[in-house]
Amino acid sequence: MLCEKCKKNPATVHMQQFVGGSKTEMHLCQECSSIKMDMPISFENIFQGFLTSLQSMTANRPMTSPSAPCARCGMTVEQFKKTGKLGCEACYQAFAKEIEALFKNVQNATRHEGKFPRRMGVDMRVRREADALRKQLKEAVDAENYEDAAHLRDQLRAIQNEAQAETQEAVQ
Amino acid sequence: MSAPWFTRAVTDESPILSSRVRLARNLRRYPFQQKLNAPNAAAMVQEIQAIGTHFHKMDMQHLSDAEQKVFLEKHIVSPEFLRGKLPRGLMISDDQNLSVMLNEEDHVRIQSVQAGDALPEALLAANQVDDLIEETHEYAFNAEHGYLTACPTNTGTGLRASYMIHLPFLERTDKFKSLLPAITKLGITLRGIYGEGTESMGSIYQISNQTTLGKTEEEIIHALQKTTQQVMEHEAQARDTMLITHRPDQENMIYRAYGVLAYSRKITAKEAMDLLSEIRIGYLYSILDKPKPEKQIYQIMMEIQPGHLQRVAGREMNELERDYARAEYLREIFC
Repeated sequence: MLCEKCKKNPATVHMQQFVGGSKTEMHLCQECSSIKMDMPISFENIFQGFLTSLQSMTANRPMTSPSAPCARCGMTVEQFKKTGKLGCEACYQAFAKEIEALFKNVQNATRHEGKFPRRMGVDMRVRREADALRKQLKEAVDAENYEDAAHLRDQLRAIQNEAQAETQEAVQ
Repeated sequence: MSAPWFTRAVTDESPILSSRVRLARNLRRYPFQQKLNAPNAAAMVQEIQAIGTHFHKMDMQHLSDAEQKVFLEKHIVSPEFLRGKLPRGLMISDDQNLSVMLNEEDHVRIQSVQAGDALPEALLAANQVDDLIEETHEYAFNAEHGYLTACPTNTGTGLRASYMIHLPFLERTDKFKSLLPAITKLGITLRGIYGEGTESMGSIYQISNQTTLGKTEEEIIHALQKTTQQVMEHEAQARDTMLITHRPDQENMIYRAYGVLAYSRKITAKEAMDLLSEIRIGYLYSILDKPKPEKQIYQIMMEIQPGHLQRVAGREMNELERDYARAEYLREIFC
């Protein structure tokens, strides 16, 4: 088989790419394949690379279908993959699956730990405190330090109840 | 008018020219830039511009090419912002250390610059503008992912913190190349000023955080400070080696640089920047035995950029005309 690109050398590198549920195959010679590999890494490349790796992990299971277009702004997964940009706030829910995987791949984290708007105040404060307590609780249980664990559990319950009361107050 | 990235407050002694913080935000009420139409974009600009009474407000469409270029050279606006098709607005503080781009990739891009090594101060100032906008406008935000941005590479804090740093010695070593992948692993990137690639002008680089999720703003800044400190230690090692073992070569390069700057009749921005970089070393380590100009070398680097030359000349110039004007300007300083 000859290289699909230069049509001169024998094809020794065989590539398969899975994008959006469809498979493309490429047969290249050593030289042309290294040119392909040297291409600058674009957002699209990273995204497609990540999709390929994700799909190869779940190869034996039926492939999950890409998310439906965003109901608020009409952005599609294809448009998002092409430009790397989202159309509106609601896209974060519409493409939650794709974005979550992208965060893990590119950002190496999925959760926001920084500043928050004042209007989110109570919610965010409780959430952060509860997270910290849960972590300490797990550590205490792992260390079989049950006295501390019981104490932490009570603290966790207390702030959860407090948050609930504040929310109810706000509703009333 | 001061020049934010080569701000006058910074002297040639500091390897760090400036500290910069950028916050990306979007308003909940409007679609992001990709899906925003012109009337909504104009309305959005007007709404935000109504907030800051202590800012100069500008409509990008009404600025001349030369004015836009100067803002670009000062890093107050981005190339993407100038290329934008939608109505765009700019807000700048009196000292130009604070600015807000409206309708760049995100609705709101707050930028804060400080001279020298001062990232926490830059963050504080950016946060104040952020809080001011937030008083009257609801941002796109959710508890899990933080501030929601048009590109998922900015989601979370929306923070890009960076230093402009002069690395004339490290740049020439083999270590420099091996340093880049190591830095990238830490979620930090190093690249030349102006442009996307790593090519630098005048050995000046920008070092910045790449990731915006999973860490607080303070943690991001702390990590950047730590990595920059390590880069500067490598720079100091490279400097000691070169100034001790290659002293005659260094002296030769510095004096040749001086000769060209003092006597050339035509010079490009890239060449002038690289030679000025040599001159800074020459004065800093008392190698160059010539009177030091009143202006900081960093300041001269800013003033030889195309937009600045055109503004001083008061007219548009083509590349060749600028190269002549640049050489004349440099001769006045060094000859």
